[in-house]
Amino acid sequence: MYDSWRHVVKKRKKKKKSRPSALFTSDLLHLHPPQLSQEAGLSQQEALEVLQAVRSGGGGASVSLTALELLQKEAETRSIVTFSSRLDAALSGGVPVGKTTEICGTPGTGKTQLCLQLAVDVQVPQCFGGVGGQVVFIDTEGSFLRQRVTDVGGAAVRHCSLLVEDEEQRVAMTTFTVEDILSNIFLVHCFDHVELLAELHLLPDFLSDHPRVRLLVIDSVAFPFRRFDDLSQRTRLLYGLAQQLSAIATRHTVAVVITNQMTTRVRGSQSQLVPALGDSWGHASNIRLLLQWSGSQRLATVVKSPSHADATVQYQISSDGFRDTDQSGAG
Amino acid sequence: MVVLRAGMCPGLEEDLIRDLRAADIKTVEDLVSSDIEELAQKCSASYKALFAIRRVLLAQHTAFPVSGADLYEELLSSTAILSTGNPSFDKLLDSGLYTGEITELSGGPGSGKSQVCFGVAVHISHQLKQSVIYIDTTGGLSAGRLLQMLQTETSDTEAQMEALQRIHVFRSFDIFSLLDCLHGLSGGGLQQASVGGGSVKAVIVDSVSAVISPLLGGKQNEGMSLMIQVAGVLKTMAKDFNIAALVTNHVTRSGGWRAAAGPRRVVGSHPQNQSSAGAAGGGRGALQSLLGHADQVLQTAVFHQRAVRPAVVESLQRRNLWKEETGRDRFLTRAN
Repeated sequence: MYDSWRHVVKKRKKKKKSRPSALFTSDLLHLHPPQLSQEAGLSQQEALEVLQAVRSGGGGASVSLTALELLQKEAETRSIVTFSSRLDAALSGGVPVGKTTEICGTPGTGKTQLCLQLAVDVQVPQCFGGVGGQVVFIDTEGSFLRQRVTDVGGAAVRHCSLLVEDEEQRVAMTTFTVEDILSNIFLVHCFDHVELLAELHLLPDFLSDHPRVRLLVIDSVAFPFRRFDDLSQRTRLLYGLAQQLSAIATRHTVAVVITNQMTTRVRGSQSQLVPALGDSWGHASNIRLLLQWSGSQRLATVVKSPSHADATVQYQISSDGFRDTDQSGAG
Repeated sequence: MVVLRAGMCPGLEEDLIRDLRAADIKTVEDLVSSDIEELAQKCSASYKALFAIRRVLLAQHTAFPVSGADLYEELLSSTAILSTGNPSFDKLLDSGLYTGEITELSGGPGSGKSQVCFGVAVHISHQLKQSVIYIDTTGGLSAGRLLQMLQTETSDTEAQMEALQRIHVFRSFDIFSLLDCLHGLSGGGLQQASVGGGSVKAVIVDSVSAVISPLLGGKQNEGMSLMIQVAGVLKTMAKDFNIAALVTNHVTRSGGWRAAAGPRRVVGSHPQNQSSAGAAGGGRGALQSLLGHADQVLQTAVFHQRAVRPAVVESLQRRNLWKEETGRDRFLTRAN
């Protein structure tokens, strides 16, 4: 709400620039509502609101922090484990909280499975090395299967109950059941891009009300945007969406996980499978994971990341969820 | 277009401003271009006071002409060259980033733009002992990665922490907060950031296109004007405070160069320091393509400019001669 307000103020300020008057918010600070309304051609009420917004913003000085403080913050936040030790190793500990991660893959490679797995894993209590958070799951394809979540959740609960060693963990297990897992997932269905954008606009408020949310899943971001006639508008909306996601990830310390489909690009006589939504969308996420089949093996590749090396790992999808290929190393 | 405010200069008080407003004098421009004698009568203020105010305002707000020779002298004495920490990179850029200039890196997703920015930030803060402002617009900055890079430069934990403290991180995810942040920096934020240690020598914006792209295109041209504003502020800041600006830009349609470079990224901790590349899991292949690819990124940066401004390449060549003539004493080297 505040952000959009700020938008309005800045827009109005822009309008005023054609007249000799203020350029920055600091120039507005010492004005009185009647003066502003006269100068900017706004009504008294509007002028009053603009000034209130400007003053509450406190001049809008951005806060800086040194890289050292940032490092301490990063050390405090844990990543979300994937229950596949190899993928965790490739991502140095799992899906990082505070960053945006994109999962690309052709149909049937396990994008949604990984999302469901993460939605369960984010709830693993802290004494088990988890994050102990909640999850907002935005479903645009209708792929969220409750039965599957129960399976994956049940497996995670079983896994943790085998690890119980002390009293603290025993207490934690009482609130880590399949019912709790289901009740900590906030599911949102969005059927077109307008609903998706609207939901993202409202999300910051929701996240402020639910400070335990540590994961936002959008499965998938491609689907609502792939039938779009006006491509330039699509690019613009997608860029805006990407910035919103980055802001949410950073301000609310939430891991944002989005899935994307694949498409075929034909160049000359050669064709190639590339992530959908165009090259410019490739810049949108901090980390990009590619899931693919190679013969009879499933491979996950870290394609892009500011803090991890390229790596390819094998995984499998079992009835328990997303796992390493050999069961012994799971967890 | 500066609005008159109390306390702008001695003698300009609240009462006088009210009187001036009544006489329809609102901005500095209005005051300077008005007839002082007439104004003195209208506002019943003293002619002398108004005249003095006008002189001070003129001195504050006028651009004075500078002769070419003086400009050149100033350029020679004030320009510093910041090494990027990567020899081949430095060679390409004629020994590094020049203060007072904006350098743009462009490349496709995962081509290593951010890695270059991290490397430059680490090198300047650790080797040159200067402060760096890092404006992160995508949330891609990871302090863990910076530390990793520092660890290959020095094993002294204290030095690592000091270097990290000299990197000031701002996060803005839309163009308005970016503009706010840049204005804040040029209006005092830079001096504040210098308090802890060396002065601020570089401002890195990664990436500038992420905040501008949502506004570009379509029927409204607001995005264009905002983009020009960002460029303007950055340029003024680079010139006025003598800092090097490094910005990254996206490539939206990957061309032939991307295919030639292969799906490789700059892995390893520092473009120059290859020792930990293996440790980071990149393996030999990545190690070998490391420098090669770093070159590639910058070549595209130059290629990009060449398409827009052929003069840039020429001036880069000319700079080589100039550099040899003026000697190497202007280079910023280790402070200790």
